Amino acid sequence: MIKGSYSEAEEDELVSASIGGDKQAFGVIVARYRKMVARTVKGMLGDSIFAEDVGQEVFIKLFYSLADFRGESKLSTYIQRIAVNLTLNEIKRRKRFFSMFSQKGNNEMHEIEVADHDTEEKREASEIVHKALQKMDPKFRIIITMRMLQGYSTKETAEMLELPLGTVLSRLSRAQEQLKGILEKL
Amino acid sequence: MKPSEIKNRMIGSLDAGIDTVGIFEEMEKDGISFDFSNDFDEKVIGRVFNTKNEEIVEVEFIRSMTRVFYRIALTGVAAIVLMLISIFLMEGSLSFNSFLGLGNSYDESTICLLTGN
Repeated sequence: MIKGSYSEAEEDELVSASIGGDKQAFGVIVARYRKMVARTVKGMLGDSIFAEDVGQEVFIKLFYSLADFRGESKLSTYIQRIAVNLTLNEIKRRKRFFSMFSQKGNNEMHEIEVADHDTEEKREASEIVHKALQKMDPKFRIIITMRMLQGYSTKETAEMLELPLGTVLSRLSRAQEQLKGILEKL
Repeated sequence: MKPSEIKNRMIGSLDAGIDTVGIFEEMEKDGISFDFSNDFDEKVIGRVFNTKNEEIVEVEFIRSMTRVFYRIALTGVAAIVLMLISIFLMEGSLSFNSFLGLGNSYDESTICLLTGN
């Protein structure tokens, strides 16, 4: 295949080329799914430099596990699972880390923000959304991220998080209540 | 869009109990970012393929170290065999005394040699 012609390529073609070490093919996978990963990671970790690092880890892990990808599910689902697992691990790691040094828990970690916004207004608006999400209980936050941010159905969310459908539905309604309460206080 | 408007819109959609799936997508259109920095792709590619190169170098290093180790070990074994042959030829046996160079000495001559009497 001629380099640069991967932009229209099918998933399996990209996967097999990437396994063979094709930089171009893997670049197309990254470009195609970065936004999806960003929504999950930034929705869960906030607009911080840590989110960017976890995002990179997602794709690095993907690259090294591509040989294990059997194509039974969509590549996007496979990537999403890696993103969810790494994000949840990061939240656990941070909880442990911050509990050693602070009683305030994981709210402190969002002090470091990426100053990459066009205007002050946009920055403030973005801050409100991210702050509200970060103040949520992680088990509700992941539901909001998957359902509202990624647009997955409740069934897909349940499959992705390996939770019963009923649990997802009840958590979704409680998550929406919690988010509303947080937004009203902000 | 003003921050207060964003907040009210979110509260409104959560209040109404309507399907909130598209709300964040609309916000993204208004400039609320849920994306990585512009150089994210390059950073990922750089990290993936540099790590790969580092791994290749590491594997090559381990391989050449193993080769060197085998050569040193073989040379050592050859030297030991040569030494045993030469001891056998010179002392006539491979006993402990032969190893110490005492194969042909009698006890008395050893005492004389050590004490000078």
